[in-house]
Amino acid sequence: MQAGVDIDRLQRELEAIFGARRVSLRAVDLETYARDMWPRLLLGYREGHPAANRPHAIVWPEHVREVVAVIKLAREQRIPIVPYGGGSGVCGGAVPLFGGITIDTKRMQQVRAVHSAELICDVEAGLSGERFERELARRGYTFGHFPSSIYCSTVGGWLATRAAGQLSTKYGKVEDRCAGLTVVTGRGEVIETDGPSRALRGPSWTQLLLGSEGTLGVITSARLRLSPAPQLRVFRGFEIDDVGAGVAAIRRVLQKGLRPAVVRLYDELDTLMNSFSHPEAEAEAEAEPALAGPRPPVETGALPTWPGPPPEEPDGLVARLIGFAKGKHLRQAATHAALGKSQLVNRLVGTVAEKIARRGCRLIIGLEGARIRTEVEAALTFHELEVAGARDKGEDPGWAWLRKRYAVSYRMSPVFRDGAFVDTMEVASSWERLMDLYHSVRAAIGRHAVVMAHFSHGYADGCSIYFTFVGTADDAAGAERLYDAIWRDGLEATTRVGGTISHHHGVGLLKAPFMAGEHREAMAIFEAAKAALDPDGILNPGKMGLRGPRP
Amino acid sequence: MTLERELCDSVGAAHVEPLDARNWRVAPGSAAEVAEVIRRARTHKAAVHPIGAGGRPTRSTDDRARVHVATRRLDQVLQLDEMSLLVHAQAGLTGLDLERILGPRNLSIGDYPPGVLTSSLGGILAVRTPGKSSARHGFFEDAVVGVSAVLANGRSVHTRIAPRRSTGPDLARALCGSEGTIGFITSAVLRIHVRPEARLVAAYLLPSVDAAISAVYLALREEAAPSGLRIYDAPEAGVHYPGLALPAGHALLCAGTAGPTDLATCDRDLIASAVIAEGGETTDPALAELWWRRLHAGEPTPGPQPSLQVMATPSKVRAVYHAVVAELARLGGAARAHISRFDADGAVMFATLERGGAAADDEAVAAAERAAQVAGGWLLGARAHKLDAYLRALRDVLDPDRIMNPGTLA
Repeated sequence: MQAGVDIDRLQRELEAIFGARRVSLRAVDLETYARDMWPRLLLGYREGHPAANRPHAIVWPEHVREVVAVIKLAREQRIPIVPYGGGSGVCGGAVPLFGGITIDTKRMQQVRAVHSAELICDVEAGLSGERFERELARRGYTFGHFPSSIYCSTVGGWLATRAAGQLSTKYGKVEDRCAGLTVVTGRGEVIETDGPSRALRGPSWTQLLLGSEGTLGVITSARLRLSPAPQLRVFRGFEIDDVGAGVAAIRRVLQKGLRPAVVRLYDELDTLMNSFSHPEAEAEAEAEPALAGPRPPVETGALPTWPGPPPEEPDGLVARLIGFAKGKHLRQAATHAALGKSQLVNRLVGTVAEKIARRGCRLIIGLEGARIRTEVEAALTFHELEVAGARDKGEDPGWAWLRKRYAVSYRMSPVFRDGAFVDTMEVASSWERLMDLYHSVRAAIGRHAVVMAHFSHGYADGCSIYFTFVGTADDAAGAERLYDAIWRDGLEATTRVGGTISHHHGVGLLKAPFMAGEHREAMAIFEAAKAALDPDGILNPGKMGLRGPRP
Repeated sequence: MTLERELCDSVGAAHVEPLDARNWRVAPGSAAEVAEVIRRARTHKAAVHPIGAGGRPTRSTDDRARVHVATRRLDQVLQLDEMSLLVHAQAGLTGLDLERILGPRNLSIGDYPPGVLTSSLGGILAVRTPGKSSARHGFFEDAVVGVSAVLANGRSVHTRIAPRRSTGPDLARALCGSEGTIGFITSAVLRIHVRPEARLVAAYLLPSVDAAISAVYLALREEAAPSGLRIYDAPEAGVHYPGLALPAGHALLCAGTAGPTDLATCDRDLIASAVIAEGGETTDPALAELWWRRLHAGEPTPGPQPSLQVMATPSKVRAVYHAVVAELARLGGAARAHISRFDADGAVMFATLERGGAAADDEAVAAAERAAQVAGGWLLGARAHKLDAYLRALRDVLDPDRIMNPGTLA
């Protein structure tokens, strides 16, 4: 915690800006805003440990002028500012490492304008992803950004972390969809970047601020690019012999200039777990496609119906992994024993997966958009996949993925409840390095935990790999040590083969120690931007591997 | 030791050209030599000015020593990754140089305007203008995956190569557009493309410029992804196609599509449908073929260079066009224009202004510029000064002696 903060004075001055109802120093709120969804913090939380770093106060601004006022106040008093959106980050980016004032942006939640002729909208940073997309769908548009956290993340959080949605292959990552930002800098000044300004000379401030995770400024609103709501959506499942063949098939499609909305290739273990995750749906689909369930209506955009309360018996992919590893009915001790011998389990599971899943790896592909072009592009895409050796399994696996695609995010609790932990590592590289990246990171994580992977977010020049790992230890301290070792070895392997340490989850605290290896001498530019925009170092201090002054 | 001697030590005497007592033009042959030149310049607090293809040193207006660093010897492809469709090219290569290297491998930098072909890569990246936008690939900077540059302290930086990342700001994009003030770009990794299986071009006649603009945006909303689009008003068509007399008020639209044959055909048909919906019709395809040859095969375009280049967002393109035409008519002159560089942000209007039977005078051009701006247009090459204080602060950190292209973006 920040030493020497006059709490009474701070409260008075904050209440003068926000009124008493939009300021909180209550213990329950301070504890709540002490963390985001970084799994490492959940390890201690599970054991009932209090948060190590709590804010001094939380405020809920409704207008950019209030953000200006609180940053000026923080600057005067040399108190940290930590922006907070939905709290869904998984890297500790919203953890108030040195205390200070947490700015929850969720009361800045207006869609201010939709400019139909320009396919642009102006939106405030605290708007939840779900509400944003529903509002656009009502008007016949989509932002095209569908992260698995869409129900609990905000537009500002997406922009601050350079997030990716599940349909990024068509729509791009959030930085590809941003035409300008309104940001309050660490000097307490409002800046508006770019706008319709490719005519304007100078560096792109938008691209310099996107992904800065609150270290250069607090994003209060943004100008975002829209697309017409899709008229047609086509989904398919394919199988292909192995990961290498699948990667080559995806590359073939994307380098032909085809742009499916989503392509996901599951490695052998992930394919196996997937089939365990949805055995009923698969059986139904195979027996009678008509029973595979209703397809989400196109007019709601890509949002599904609300997933509802979690099932009493966890049936998600990760929970199945736990179930698989422990034989479902074995004692918890057996689970720990199995996960504790992760190399053996990885080898065994790999062999089993290979034998059971003789059919190879699962590949899900989907296209959406304007009717005529989507039809043509879908036919070409499916043809290219078949030429590459993929076997068409029909529409049902694709629609099954679409229906369940948000579910996994809400089904991790059972894993933690069972005494284990689960996390995901999303790295990326060019195609040339991709298989090296896959094998290196898989081996590095596999020394410590059970690991599986899928390839998604593909581009003409490369692809992201999304590793899911499950581990366990005897106590919280041991779990934290194991967790740290997994990330250390996984990210070192990534850097070694020339991949990037994060494709879309961001850096936060988790990857801060690896930023020097990621950017090397180029960190000097980031640090210069920090000094220019936040000379006192009050904005989200201690994050992203930045040096310099701290409050 | 004198700066000139140090420059000779850095790059070899054959590549140092004294321009006067305090100005030199040097041509380093590697990024390491660029770094050495900048380090030496820094010790003398001499200014470092990059010069790309066609660039010329400017004479000093003060007594500061200046080193004009030409990129022409940075002319190598450092790596070609055909699997990932990436090329790592040095800053002195022009787009045309790259096309010559990539072409035999059935690869291409893509369908960008001629300005990209004739400029050096370092120059294209260092200066941000919409004149390098492609309907098919977007803005040229979107093709940049990584940049290598030398900072004012002589240290080289190489941004990491990845298709996309979530590891902080895009530091490559901080260097692009900075006009050599943040760093001297020595090379870049670019996305490239397999040459398309099919290329189709078509020409359409529409009843008005407004109808042509509407047809373009209608087709783009149907997700057509053309490789090029250009709208000519009737007077401009008459100049670009001698002997062609469009009915007064009509417009000519030329469109190119490319890609897998079915997709290129689909895109062409989507554009044709949009044209029909706006009351237009297909016309002689030879017009479009000639347009394409002028863009990409070096065939000359008749007429003088446009006197006014204005960018406008999709909803403002019509207004900007009519405002400029009306203003010149009010001043007793005439404006003709073509509109191209369509992308998500809008399009660029290239207008040629005449008064009294000759190129419009400065007063008429200034009036047309004002009219375009009032209508919502943005003059190419304009500067937004609202963030200058932050740029100055950033440069204070990286370049406290202000050696990197001083006077630019100031």
